Amino acid sequence: MASAPSLAASISPSTPPNTVARAELSEIDASTKVPAIFFLGSSLLWLLAGTLFALISSFKLHNPAFLGDAEWLTFGRVRTAHLNAVVYGWSVNASFAVALWLMARLARSIVRHSNMLMLAGVLWNVGVTIGITGILAGDSTSIEWLEMPTYATPILFVAYALVGGWAVITFRFGRSQHIYVSQWYIFAALFWFPWLYSIAQIMIIFAPARGTVQALVNWWFAHNVLGLWFTPIGLAAVYYFLPKVLGKPIHSYYLSVLGFWSLAIFYNWAGVHHLVGGPVPAWVITAGIAASFMMVIPVVVTAINHHLTLVGSFSALKYSPTLRFIVFGAVNYTLASLLGSLMADRNISEVVHFTHAIVGHSHHGLYAFFTMVMFGSIYYIMPRILHREWPSATLISVHFWTTAVGAVIMVVVLSVVGTKQGLAMNNAAIPFLSMEESDVVRATLDGLRVRSYSGILITIGHLAFAINFVWMLLRPRADHNTAPTLFRNPEPDLEVSSR
Amino acid sequence: MSAQDPQPKKHTLEQAAASDEKIQQVHAILLREKPEPAEGYSPMPLFVLGFIAAVIFVVSVYFVHNRGGLGPNFSFREAALVYDERYDPATAPGAGAAKELTPEQIIAAGKKLYATCSTCHQANGAGLPGTYPPLANSEWVNGSDERLIRILLNGLSGEVTVAGNKYNGLMPAFGKVPGGGYNWTDERIAQVLTYIRQEWGNAADPITTARVTEIREQAGASRATPWTEAELLALP
Amino acid sequence: MNRAPLIFLGVFFALAFSWTGIVLTNQIAYGSLEPVFDESEGKAFPESIPGVAAQGKLVYQDLGCMYCHTQQVRRPGFGGDIDRNWGERQSVARDYIRERRVLLGTMRTGPDLRNVGARFAGEGGREWHIRHLYDPEITSPGSIMPKYKFLFETRKIVGEPSPRAVQRLLPADAQPPEGYEIVLTDRGHALIEYLLSLKDVYTYPEEASRVYVEPQPEAKNGDNAANTNSEAQQ
Repeated sequence: MASAPSLAASISPSTPPNTVARAELSEIDASTKVPAIFFLGSSLLWLLAGTLFALISSFKLHNPAFLGDAEWLTFGRVRTAHLNAVVYGWSVNASFAVALWLMARLARSIVRHSNMLMLAGVLWNVGVTIGITGILAGDSTSIEWLEMPTYATPILFVAYALVGGWAVITFRFGRSQHIYVSQWYIFAALFWFPWLYSIAQIMIIFAPARGTVQALVNWWFAHNVLGLWFTPIGLAAVYYFLPKVLGKPIHSYYLSVLGFWSLAIFYNWAGVHHLVGGPVPAWVITAGIAASFMMVIPVVVTAINHHLTLVGSFSALKYSPTLRFIVFGAVNYTLASLLGSLMADRNISEVVHFTHAIVGHSHHGLYAFFTMVMFGSIYYIMPRILHREWPSATLISVHFWTTAVGAVIMVVVLSVVGTKQGLAMNNAAIPFLSMEESDVVRATLDGLRVRSYSGILITIGHLAFAINFVWMLLRPRADHNTAPTLFRNPEPDLEVSSR
Repeated sequence: MSAQDPQPKKHTLEQAAASDEKIQQVHAILLREKPEPAEGYSPMPLFVLGFIAAVIFVVSVYFVHNRGGLGPNFSFREAALVYDERYDPATAPGAGAAKELTPEQIIAAGKKLYATCSTCHQANGAGLPGTYPPLANSEWVNGSDERLIRILLNGLSGEVTVAGNKYNGLMPAFGKVPGGGYNWTDERIAQVLTYIRQEWGNAADPITTARVTEIREQAGASRATPWTEAELLALP
Repeated sequence: MNRAPLIFLGVFFALAFSWTGIVLTNQIAYGSLEPVFDESEGKAFPESIPGVAAQGKLVYQDLGCMYCHTQQVRRPGFGGDIDRNWGERQSVARDYIRERRVLLGTMRTGPDLRNVGARFAGEGGREWHIRHLYDPEITSPGSIMPKYKFLFETRKIVGEPSPRAVQRLLPADAQPPEGYEIVLTDRGHALIEYLLSLKDVYTYPEEASRVYVEPQPEAKNGDNAANTNSEAQQ
């Protein structure tokens, strides 16, 4: 990049170095604008679609007659459409946007070949649209997390390869000498995902392995999508925004290193605990449970690192939307992971396996951690690439409180209801279904209703976010006297400049 | 890039930013940003190392105790077919021998088998009005053991009157008879019949496996169609 | 950690480790299990899946049945599977080797279906499934399973009534108007055949010898000796 005359170079030589650095960042941010907005806009649309599918399937669980006559909207399909819309639509698009913005900034590399990214983005979203339509039309493969029909997956793979190729180029041509911890995570995630995805597609769909080897591949893949793709991207964002908003360094480089490598080694073995008690070798399940226990190490190490970075600056949570979402997400990463290690235990699994508690746990990880971190990141990124402020602090506040409270209710209720369901199911004296006595099905119904209400709360939050997002796109550019959109004004003695 | 060095349309944003006033505007949001994140180098707390060592130790012990037979004398290939983590090839005794059951065990076994029946006749034996006849206080259940055994062995079709109500359905064949879908052993049939004859206030005699075998060999084994009410009522 | 190639190597080996351990090892260890031929029964187990049932499995997949119903029975003493009569024995890997797609499932909003063909068999089982799919509350009051009425078709009787007409099994309020009949579609028919085919009744001699049996208290001395043995192996 040295040869190209840049904005930074155009500023007079007497300008302080900090200003030059800011000018460089401005240039980098600007270069990410088109692809980032494209990915964020698509992710928002998928978030809304996924939320709608979620609400429909949640209501169907306690009211099966709801939209009951439409084959396209039968529970088994809407639930699958929900999962695919929020995973491949919302989460992957959002992580592409956040990862590309972080990559460009941290590698100090202006986004080149943004056509490549745009092509990838269009292909990815076309692929997801075809895939979800296929699921609703009845072409689902019925392999958890790999439901998209075979005519959609190659498109996704090509799109992904383009993003991966772009990332290598950006990394290669970056000017930064230092590789910051967020980059390790993004780099690893970008490398791991295609490996997982292609092996799973080949060994389950295109050239299926025999018998339950498929199930092992399935859960090796599905748990690792969370562990080796969403978790690293989420942690990369936390590692960036936490020190960025607070204006202090990450507590300890050594803890960062330890947290990264222990996650890399242990997380990818953990997935097989989803098959506990099943027709797969006992030693593999034990290994998966052991790895789940070992996950305590990266989780505790990362939590200590984040906590010691944040300590002393808790007051910033009062005004900074980004920080509040990110910290909520990081705390839930710790909680969800520790609970996950606990739930992997055979004795606890015997009860919670096959119940709504597992659904609650997935939402804990993918919503209360990952999605909240993505929201926080978006609140930071958008003003910088658009040069506009968020139009309404109230809407941000509504967004935070509805989603945070909704997520907590959902996770708690599903865990409680799932435990009740599991205890009842393991006691053969309690009938599965009976009109006279208490039964397994009725043990869950009240909780499932409360879950639907928490879903409505979350939907309100997503609508507030969508309104704010679209309003921001349409409003005029900020003039140079603007103030950041914060929850409240910080105390005067605090030097605050961030959201 | 600068104003003197115009570049293609792609970089309009930076172009626009080139004048001093514009630079201010572009950086309005950026300038109040904190510096890019950096790493601190605080040393790792000692207790973290102790904690990691403890976790590794505990988990290793857990794995060794639950490894499902895996070991130097029991390869991956053999261990792949073990589904119980407590399995140990050195002490595995093989399948246990069958034992004589006590009356309580027979009732318990019958109750377990009844899960299959309860999907129609319901867990409380009351059936579904108009669709599936009741077993509780049913003259068919508490009456002749031969009729009851024949119904279970070969099934029952057509109209049937139970406790004063008429039903018209199909009871499938459960015995080891031609065309039977379930192929239950005589022992299982005796168990489930003994259970339904002594549950929900029913108080008829138990039915032995030998009796089921006798009736199956006499009448059931040569018949491929369900009984009808008339045929059964002709029996004692 | 400023050396990209080193990070890359570490990241590569981290995933290669589990890929080898979980996927490759097991593909080699039991990825080529064969059916077992039983001399006395004169056939190989697991039995092959009949053609209509295989089509029905596709319907099972496209409707997403596996999101509420598992197809795996856990061992006695681990969960209530056996006590609920969901199977006579635990499911083993060999049960699944004829299946192109293995649908173990991870959620039991409804009961396990691995042996549903042993719980509902023959003509009576078929009729139960017809009622249950048309409206689960006919056979199972209080059920939260959705209705699958779209697997049935109400059509005008042209000439002879269809042998597939099913309205005689349905309650009075579901009867079609005069001159019409309710028939099961091909997809519904295939799905029911699939459900009827689901049962693992054969016990493989080799599998039966690999179960864990709690040590008997009276055999304590022998056990201790064996334990010492196995500890020596560790």
